Amino acid sequence: MHHSYVDRFSQGDSPVHRLDARVKLAAVIAYTIVLISFNRYVVAALTPLTIAPLTMLWFGRVPVWFALRRVLLLCPFIAMLCLLSPLYDRGLQHVAFGPWRLHVTGGWLMAASIAAKFTLGLLALTALTCTTPFPLLLEAMRKLRLPKLLVMQLGFLYRYIFVLIDQALRIRRGRDFRGAARAPMRRRLSAVGGIVGSLFIRTVERSERIYVAMCARGYSGEPHSLSQLRFRPIDGLLLAATGVYLVACRWLGPAVFF
Amino acid sequence: MKILAMHMANELLNLPVAGITLLVAAGAITVAAKRAQKTLDPERLPLMGVIGAFVFAAQMINFTLPGMPGTSGHLGGGVLLAVLLGPAAGIITIASILIVQCLIFQDGGLLALGCNIINMGVVPCVLGWWLYRTIIGKSDTVPAWRQYLAAWAACLFGVTAGAALVPIEAAFAGRFSIPVTQFLAVMVGVHLLIGAVEGVITFAVLAYLRQVRPACLGLGAAIAGKVVLSRKAAAFSLVITALLLAGVVSWFASSYPDGLEWSYLEREYGDAQSAIKPPSDAIVVVDNVQAKYAPLPDYSTRPAPLGTIAAEHADEATAADAWPNVSGWGSLAGVIGTIGTLVIVYVVAVLLGRKRKMPDHETQQA
Repeated sequence: MHHSYVDRFSQGDSPVHRLDARVKLAAVIAYTIVLISFNRYVVAALTPLTIAPLTMLWFGRVPVWFALRRVLLLCPFIAMLCLLSPLYDRGLQHVAFGPWRLHVTGGWLMAASIAAKFTLGLLALTALTCTTPFPLLLEAMRKLRLPKLLVMQLGFLYRYIFVLIDQALRIRRGRDFRGAARAPMRRRLSAVGGIVGSLFIRTVERSERIYVAMCARGYSGEPHSLSQLRFRPIDGLLLAATGVYLVACRWLGPAVFF
Repeated sequence: MKILAMHMANELLNLPVAGITLLVAAGAITVAAKRAQKTLDPERLPLMGVIGAFVFAAQMINFTLPGMPGTSGHLGGGVLLAVLLGPAAGIITIASILIVQCLIFQDGGLLALGCNIINMGVVPCVLGWWLYRTIIGKSDTVPAWRQYLAAWAACLFGVTAGAALVPIEAAFAGRFSIPVTQFLAVMVGVHLLIGAVEGVITFAVLAYLRQVRPACLGLGAAIAGKVVLSRKAAAFSLVITALLLAGVVSWFASSYPDGLEWSYLEREYGDAQSAIKPPSDAIVVVDNVQAKYAPLPDYSTRPAPLGTIAAEHADEATAADAWPNVSGWGSLAGVIGTIGTLVIVYVVAVLLGRKRKMPDHETQQA
């Protein structure tokens, strides 16, 4: 687990990276709202919604396989629900596919709908986080008036995740080299308790040192940061375009084509 | 046991449920932030964020479960944080963890954040903290068995109660078809196990802190000597966990008499009503398999066992009628669901565990 591995694409440079983080965040939230506002049997009407995340990934120079691998990694829980739903909902549904009309059980339609929504939502979220460095995202949240305390904690959390995970992995490797796998249950349990407990104490002490360092750098109750967010004309244009696109996907498309 | 895989997804929600839960979660965070600012010293300002990173790190420390080679549990952390820092700081920490998980690791949906914060943050922290405090009592010196039982009960009920909200929220949203009781039974069954493992690890951490830093736990002085897990307390908690699990399993079984009735009816009226004979078990199995693997349902004259409703239109009204179709086969599917979920969780845990063993190689290749 490494910083540059988890969000290695967000540091890149592309037209999508240069967009205002607020616009991207708002667009992805609006996209997700439109996505889940569809009825549970809707599958075909979701197709126009594939355009936006794929475009964003393409222009952001993020490989689609990277995003799709995320989908695979995160799918077990949702896959289980998808596979079970055909067993329960066996009501017939009409499906119009061009000139063909089919009867399908509701469960299968529902499974397809859930799977499609899951994939699309995840693609959009991956497109957002792979084209926006997390500090900019936090800046956007601050500008969008999320509670200050929460945004600040998110900043600390992001800053120290990888530091502490590395530390934990080193400790774990040390434990495993010392033959922990063969120890009796009680010894292993107390080893886990000791490791996690001492990590906790170290973390608390670290947070106190961080506060001292913040004070030494002039912290007086308000976080100061250079704002790197700039709302350019193209951002406004894109926001409007996203709005039109989403409205078309939600109301125009289903009414005209499906 | 990977609790991360159990995050609520966007797709199980509709807009009203997502909106309401987001509002409730926002309210809970606001209240918690006010309380945390009152109770924590200013020097502790970065604490909650850095402790959130600690939770991620603590989840890397695995504990191989006895009797299940290859499976390892790890800490979820919610109840531990509530016990160590108080419920308010616990809720804020868990909320920030969930937001980071959603934004960086894409785990859990953006609009499902409200649900996730309630299920994994607010409920486990408040309920777990309250249970722990109640069982521990106010005395300065707490015997180890009591601390163990407190940690076990807090994790078991905190984690399970939060998980039990998932099917209820999904049922209100009505986005998918699994009957709420069976989904509830699966979630409760899986999370009873997860909660029990979490309780044991939480106790181990508390036992260590009690020796080294009793002030963390609000205890007076360090307890000399090792804190050893008492056998009686361990046995007691195992028995109660097993009983609860058995209760959940019998919950499946209680809807099974439907299935028994079918075969009873068949024996009684088998010849007389052969035309509309209820299907025998073998036929139902075939039917089930067919329904599962064939995208098109059959058009036979035989009445479909699960109450097939030929919906004329894909409107919500008929869908709602078809929805709570509970039957013996449904409950069997519930049992299969629990086992299947556990198997998938196991496979994912093993795969990810194998991957994580060589993090340096992985980054070099990447």
